[in-house]
Amino acid sequence: MASQTPAVVMDNGTGYSKLGFAGNDSPSFVFPTAIATKGPTGGAGGSGSGRPAVANKPSFLTGGAGPGSHLSAKRGTEDLDFFIGDEALSASGGPGYGIHYPIRHGQIDNWDLMERFWSNSIFKYLRVEPEDHYFLLTEPFLTFAEPLNPPENRENTAEIMFESFNCAGLYIAVQAVLALAASWTSSKVQDRSLTGTVIDSGAGVTHVIPVAEGYVIGSSIKSVPIAGRDITNFVQSLLRDRGEPDSSLQTAERIKEEYCYVSPDIVKEYARFDREPEDRFKKHTVNYPNGKSVQVDVGYERFLAPEIFFNPEIYSSDFLTPLPNIVDTVIQTSPIDVRRGLYKNIVLSGGSTLYKDFGRRLQRDIRHLVDARIKASEARSGGAKSGGLDVQVISHKRQRHGPWFGGSLLGQTPEFRSYCHTKAEYDEIGPSIVRRFALLGGPGST
Amino acid sequence: MLLLDYQNVLIESLLRERFAGGAPVSIDQVVSDFDGVTFHISTPETKTKILISIAIKCFSELVQYGAQEVLEREYGPFSIAPENGYDFSVQVDLETLPDDPDAKEDLIRRISLLKRNVMAAPFEQAFDEFKHLQEEASKYTSESAPQGVLEGGEVRAIHYREEEAIYIKASHDRVTVIFSTVFREETDRIFGKVFLQEFVDARRRAIQNAPQVLFRNDPPLELQNVPGVDRSGSNQIGYVTFVLFPRHLAGQRRADVISHIQTFRDYFHYHIKASKAYIHSRMRRRTADFLQVLNRARPENEEKERKTASGRTFRVQG
Amino acid sequence: MVCQAASDHHWQAPPHYDSRHDGIAGGRPRTTQCAFQRTTTSSRELPGGAFTMSQSLRPYLQCVRSSLTAALSLSNFASQASERHNVPEIEAASSPEVILNPLTVSRNENEKVYIEPSINSVRISIKIKQADEIEHILVHKFTRFLTQRAEAFFILRRKPVKGYDISFLITNFHTEEMLKHKLVDFIIQFMEEVDKEISEMKLFLNARARFVAESFLTPFD
Repeated sequence: MASQTPAVVMDNGTGYSKLGFAGNDSPSFVFPTAIATKGPTGGAGGSGSGRPAVANKPSFLTGGAGPGSHLSAKRGTEDLDFFIGDEALSASGGPGYGIHYPIRHGQIDNWDLMERFWSNSIFKYLRVEPEDHYFLLTEPFLTFAEPLNPPENRENTAEIMFESFNCAGLYIAVQAVLALAASWTSSKVQDRSLTGTVIDSGAGVTHVIPVAEGYVIGSSIKSVPIAGRDITNFVQSLLRDRGEPDSSLQTAERIKEEYCYVSPDIVKEYARFDREPEDRFKKHTVNYPNGKSVQVDVGYERFLAPEIFFNPEIYSSDFLTPLPNIVDTVIQTSPIDVRRGLYKNIVLSGGSTLYKDFGRRLQRDIRHLVDARIKASEARSGGAKSGGLDVQVISHKRQRHGPWFGGSLLGQTPEFRSYCHTKAEYDEIGPSIVRRFALLGGPGST
Repeated sequence: MLLLDYQNVLIESLLRERFAGGAPVSIDQVVSDFDGVTFHISTPETKTKILISIAIKCFSELVQYGAQEVLEREYGPFSIAPENGYDFSVQVDLETLPDDPDAKEDLIRRISLLKRNVMAAPFEQAFDEFKHLQEEASKYTSESAPQGVLEGGEVRAIHYREEEAIYIKASHDRVTVIFSTVFREETDRIFGKVFLQEFVDARRRAIQNAPQVLFRNDPPLELQNVPGVDRSGSNQIGYVTFVLFPRHLAGQRRADVISHIQTFRDYFHYHIKASKAYIHSRMRRRTADFLQVLNRARPENEEKERKTASGRTFRVQG
Repeated sequence: MVCQAASDHHWQAPPHYDSRHDGIAGGRPRTTQCAFQRTTTSSRELPGGAFTMSQSLRPYLQCVRSSLTAALSLSNFASQASERHNVPEIEAASSPEVILNPLTVSRNENEKVYIEPSINSVRISIKIKQADEIEHILVHKFTRFLTQRAEAFFILRRKPVKGYDISFLITNFHTEEMLKHKLVDFIIQFMEEVDKEISEMKLFLNARARFVAESFLTPFD
């Protein structure tokens, strides 16, 4: 039955889930990875009271189910009474429902809730019979700051997709690799290689992930605690300092998204604002539901806010390394034979990389660091000339949902299905089959 | 979620957002819907003209049963020549929308029900035929009725999925709707049997006015002369018969019955899957319980203080 | 030896059980199969629900408990087949002299426990009650789910012994690290709860099916 149907691509992130069909250039649905269930909000532990959860076991065993009320009392239909995404947020605003986030730090933390989240994604939003479709799912970057993504997580995912939903086939891809594939639409990318450095910046954290030939170099990954939420907070603090009539978080976020850009040099940018104020200063109108509206001035935060990536000291007192230096360190700690490829293909991904000229500034700053190092080593070697090093940062149209779009690209290729594990293979071999997938988009594929 | 939506949520939310005056953007999405339906939602000319096309596997059969007339009735001025590769297209121009909010909402509803409406044709035809046969039959006693009236109309077959079909047959006192359904999984087959038994029993037990439901593994009598019906009587295929009585076929109920019965197959399979998901969560809990019991056998765990996720500590009880 | 001790001290079989010797199982020498059958055939013909815990389940579990406790007298034993290896002899089956007589405790032909002791390891296999195809598929799903998580259960065998639904392997290393009577508690509790869970799941399925069917048919009303 799954003969001509497009693959379903689901990228479930900590904050947002992106759902859609392969071949499209954007996901059909983007909504919070949130689920509202009957009963009060629970933390990681589910809703039950009474005895505490069993300690010393990873969440894939308990499903985050934790304590739970009496099993026998759970014979009802509570498990059908829930909402996901935006509907979950509005349901939890009212009485009776509590909100839960089944993914934490990129990893599935509560399998019970995740299974229901998927069920609703498939049957309410995507409206497909999973038996008719192949599925491409994503998994997070592996980082050493967080516990490694254990293979059991994949097996649990497969158990759900194949046993509960009978999906026709399954491929699980690493988000960073998909983000690299997403850049293939950029005109700057000549060869479709899966070697490069991914800078992924979402709401909570920014990751710098080196990838060689489709494999993440786990030991060199670095995370930066500065991302979208920090920029919003910074905008908000500037609005507050000036005593603007509206300095809510929502307004700060709108301003961030509509007016912010990255400047080549903040001193010169200040001067430009003073020179051409009518051009640079903006007014943002906030409309309220009651029909009233106020004007908020937008000033230096236009370029100052994203500047915290490049000069973190203007925002943070405990994290001081600029993003270009982090990228340089990540590449320098990677194996020497792939460094050239990592500098040449620095790919942006995620909502917080969308500021105008973000890529250009990053490229310039990294190039300065590299050139300075080359110069120093030329000087030390006494006259030897270096051939130089190509630094290129790739911005492209699809970088907001980079991993999803990469999945959409790969999921529509004719060979995609042959890279998946099928339901029949799963039934024969069992969940361990998903520990390995052949590299999609790697050498030898079109 | 208990019942499946009749409308496509993506089309609905997209149109609602656009109609509410969101900034026009270009759209180009090819998306699936249940039962092998494909939609193409795009803005090929300008950002304000939204084109929605549907491709459905059994379109030629549906046309035979009057789909064109139903679509013309529902979409009249909005329908345009079908886009290449699709069976039917509608186009809405954001600049010439009706001003009346109710009319806007009606248009959103209509378009998001595209799949429902195209599939409705054979049902509408059969319901009309029933009405005709009913009038005919009222002229005779049950003994004197001529052949055509007694045995009812032809069987309309809609092969809406590769291995599954809907058969609709009108008689003078009922319309019979038969779903053939395939189970490719042993668990699903067994769960399905439990579910279907309850469908069969529900009328007797609780809902007297519901359609009568019958279930069997070999083709029911109505399908005796229908070509292409698998008569092997294998376990994997089942035939679910809904007998719709006159009260379901007339008045305002008619449209709702058509919408609702169309969702049967996907509703049924959705709930088999949701039950498996629930059983998974039970097993996770039970597994956690077993682990706790086993961990009591570790002596070093006996006295140790452990922390819950929220950081509280507690003592393990023996 | 273990089996001997068992019959001497621990098998305080209730009088209405009779223990049977048939002595023909497998190709191994000295293999004796001890099976417990309920003698009151009239009560066996009653439908499953008619038994009370005390009538049949309790003696069954008590018997498993005693047999298992006896079988768990394990000691360290280096492999005689390969140098500097220490393998569960019951799995290796390379030294017949350290393998003891296996025994079956059965409540009826659908519910039994097979205990295979050896000098340094015991294999316990359980056949879980399956009255119909629903219970059969639920047992299959549940045991598969558990074995998928065998790593966390350390004594759970990844594959059940043929003819059984789930197997455990307890070695001397387990009994040295863990409290023996608690391990036995675990097996007994497992047996009790697994039956409960299967019947609860079946109840759920029926209730859900009814709910789903009625919910679909109500709008027609």
